[in-house]
Amino acid sequence: MRLPRQDRYAELEPLLAKVEHPARYLDHEWGAVEQQDGPFHVCMIYADAYEVGQPNLGIAILYNELNAAEGISCERCYLPWVDMSALMREAGVPLLSLETSSPVASFDVVGFTLAHEMIATNIVETLDLAGIPIRAEDRDEDDAIIFAGGPSAWNCEPLCAMFDAVLLGDGEGEIVEAAQAVRDARAAGATRAEVLKALSKVRGVYVPSLYDVVVDETSTRWGYAVPKPGADVPEVVYKRCIPDLSVTDPVPQKMVPYMGIVQDRLAIEVLRGCARGCRFCQAGMTYRPVRERPLEQVVDAAEQGLRTTGYDEVSLSSLSTTDHSQCEQILLRLDERLRGKGVRVSIPSQRLDSFGVDMAAAVSGSRRGGLTFAPEAGTQRLRDVINKNVTEDDLERAARNAFELGWRRMKLYFMMGLPTETDDDVLAITAAARRVLEIGREVVGRGYKSGVSVSVSVSVFVPKCFTPFQWCGQLPIDEVRRRQDLMIRANRDRDIHISYHDAQVSVVEAALSKMGRAGFELVYGAWQRGCRFDAWTDQFKYEQWLEAGRAMGIDLEELAAEPYDLEARLPWEHTSPGVSKGFLKREWRRAAEGVTTSDCTMTSCVGCGVCPALGVDNHIEGDRHGR
Amino acid sequence: MADETFRLRVAYRKDGRLAYLGHLEVINTVERSIRRSGLPFSVGNGFARRMRVQFSQALPVGAFSEGEYYDLVLEEEVDTHEALELLKAASPSALGPYRAAYVPRRGPALEAWLNRSLWQVEIHGEELSADAVSEGIAAVKEAGKIDFMRGDKPRTIETVTTLVSWEATQEAWGVALALETRSSNLGALRPAVLLDAAFGTEALAGAVRSSQRVCRSGQWHEENGRLVEPFDANFTWSLT
Ligand code: SF4
Repeated sequence: MRLPRQDRYAELEPLLAKVEHPARYLDHEWGAVEQQDGPFHVCMIYADAYEVGQPNLGIAILYNELNAAEGISCERCYLPWVDMSALMREAGVPLLSLETSSPVASFDVVGFTLAHEMIATNIVETLDLAGIPIRAEDRDEDDAIIFAGGPSAWNCEPLCAMFDAVLLGDGEGEIVEAAQAVRDARAAGATRAEVLKALSKVRGVYVPSLYDVVVDETSTRWGYAVPKPGADVPEVVYKRCIPDLSVTDPVPQKMVPYMGIVQDRLAIEVLRGCARGCRFCQAGMTYRPVRERPLEQVVDAAEQGLRTTGYDEVSLSSLSTTDHSQCEQILLRLDERLRGKGVRVSIPSQRLDSFGVDMAAAVSGSRRGGLTFAPEAGTQRLRDVINKNVTEDDLERAARNAFELGWRRMKLYFMMGLPTETDDDVLAITAAARRVLEIGREVVGRGYKSGVSVSVSVSVFVPKCFTPFQWCGQLPIDEVRRRQDLMIRANRDRDIHISYHDAQVSVVEAALSKMGRAGFELVYGAWQRGCRFDAWTDQFKYEQWLEAGRAMGIDLEELAAEPYDLEARLPWEHTSPGVSKGFLKREWRRAAEGVTTSDCTMTSCVGCGVCPALGVDNHIEGDRHGR
Repeated sequence: MADETFRLRVAYRKDGRLAYLGHLEVINTVERSIRRSGLPFSVGNGFARRMRVQFSQALPVGAFSEGEYYDLVLEEEVDTHEALELLKAASPSALGPYRAAYVPRRGPALEAWLNRSLWQVEIHGEELSADAVSEGIAAVKEAGKIDFMRGDKPRTIETVTTLVSWEATQEAWGVALALETRSSNLGALRPAVLLDAAFGTEALAGAVRSSQRVCRSGQWHEENGRLVEPFDANFTWSLT
């Protein structure tokens, strides 16, 4: 049932003194849109703690677009931390929006960002705290329409029982059209079913309830989705894609939080998409094509954004910032304009080559913290399998360059359990760390005082849909542990610190990535058993996840490790980022042969299918060839 | 080299929802407001190149204030009225600056210099008696110190010098308390800590507070028993 729209801050306030970080719940941040007249009201939710959700650029973009649209207002909401949600339940206070402290259950549309798989139980928790029926099919006529979208919407099937509509791809434009579709249908007196039908006509919008799941001999045990008989919906819903980044607002982040948040800085998205083609990387496949923001726009935006927000740091964000064809000029120009203002520029990821190191040096001034590289695999053979186009030489040259430029601490990212990995590959991780350390000692000197150290962080490979590795099973957890152990034992140098990710979290992540619609039972069961904030190490409850699996007759560890047949119809194929199955298969075969594929922004089209499917092209400002 | 910079003292309040900000959050927010104001603030030479600004003593989370201060170093002398207007326009209204004036460039740090505070505390509770509250506080002062927990860390604050005076008044909703405290390098007495201790004394056994509102209504510098206003133009700092 829809709750009345009213300001209920007075009910929340007495609880503030009793919780950790009350600033999470205050609103009224600089730049927040306080005018919330509607009359059509949308609430965008990042279902995690405020400090994790607030920096999300996606929500900032949608928030601005909706608030700018005639007759539509948009507020924000984050999931209260466990201390606050317990107090709210006790006091009978439902989940409230930030801007006007109205019940989330009073909104016309509520939108969730699917930032990653591990946010699943938080979405259940959010709906429950809001008092909105968790399953879409249980909602009343006038209940809020629930949207979802974001990076993890590829394979949204295990969660889609909760969503009325899933928005695929770039949200710009799409979000407003979808909200308007709901508004117009409601205004015309449409039933809920008719509203959903109207939504399915918006390009890029997938309405799960209009599809049936069929399990047959051509599919995995999770089946595949087909339009319901009589439902006039496409067999495959393709993502929305804006062809040109320069037409979007370069400074979507207008709000300045009070509390310290993760990524507490201004972010300017300098490019969208990455075509390097790493075969494990979902973002690399689902954000294509590559669209660069022009140099002038980036520089002006940084300057203007710093002025209006008061931040003292600007991050040039993207999947691969140093690949921007004008990266060097952007950094030069920013340095000229921002000098003497006590402002820092940062780039989130460095290319593993000398250019990457030079760019890191350009932004760091005299500071030399740690420098991070991601070779991902220890041997050339395995790097070729995953299409990480860097060589031993690249790594050595980059490391030497970095030590010569004054860095002392090097951080290396690797993945464990990649397809075809052997013990030799695992041992090569430690060896690569040793080699980098050795270069550091050569350049800087030996002995304790030199301060040279290498830290290695090893995550567990999770097969993701719409990647060439989508058919793979995850390495069984016992084997992961054995290999982790092998790697640790091979390290005898105390200046090399090796850490690895919790294999249990990866099992759940893999299970959620592989399942189909029936997988919601697992998510719901886990939530019922107390799982939430699964991305927080101190909150993650593996046993409860396993138990939820057992209750529905599945062994989670087995499921995560299960490979899919190359010819099977997969549970997620009716929603598409444009990349073709043929391309993914070809990439899978090339991986098995250890053959690499080049980056289409630096050479020529390699036929992933995105551009023809979506009618777009790579949009490169300068020249990337020969880099 | 002569220091060609200017020290602008700014008074601001902390009210509304922003009472729930912690000290670090206030500092961050004020620094960002200063950046937004466009004032020619000075940046330190240190590694991190931080803005040169100093704050008065930390206000507890949940406490309101009518008189908080910061000293900001400027590269150019901007008219005080104009500077105040720029800061106002760039600050959240619940942390709104209301007065600004230049003070001598050299001088002790604000945090240590403003060592006296006046607090107005509303203790809500229908059955509460002002006399009992007064007695409870007296007993705490008598005891000479308070042992308490901050988070999971045990702390101690002495009460003989830090608690200067108090006056409790009976109100229909409970007790209004005016409290004067003094801080030193040994620490500052927070009203909530004092009241928690007072409510643990015999005088207040069984007494129930339904809620409590703490507001700092002013800060001063104490010099030979005399209270000096933060903006006192006639006061010359003894530079030690
Ligand atoms: S279709 Fe060709 S040019 Fe377009 S992203 Fe794919 S590989 Fe690159």
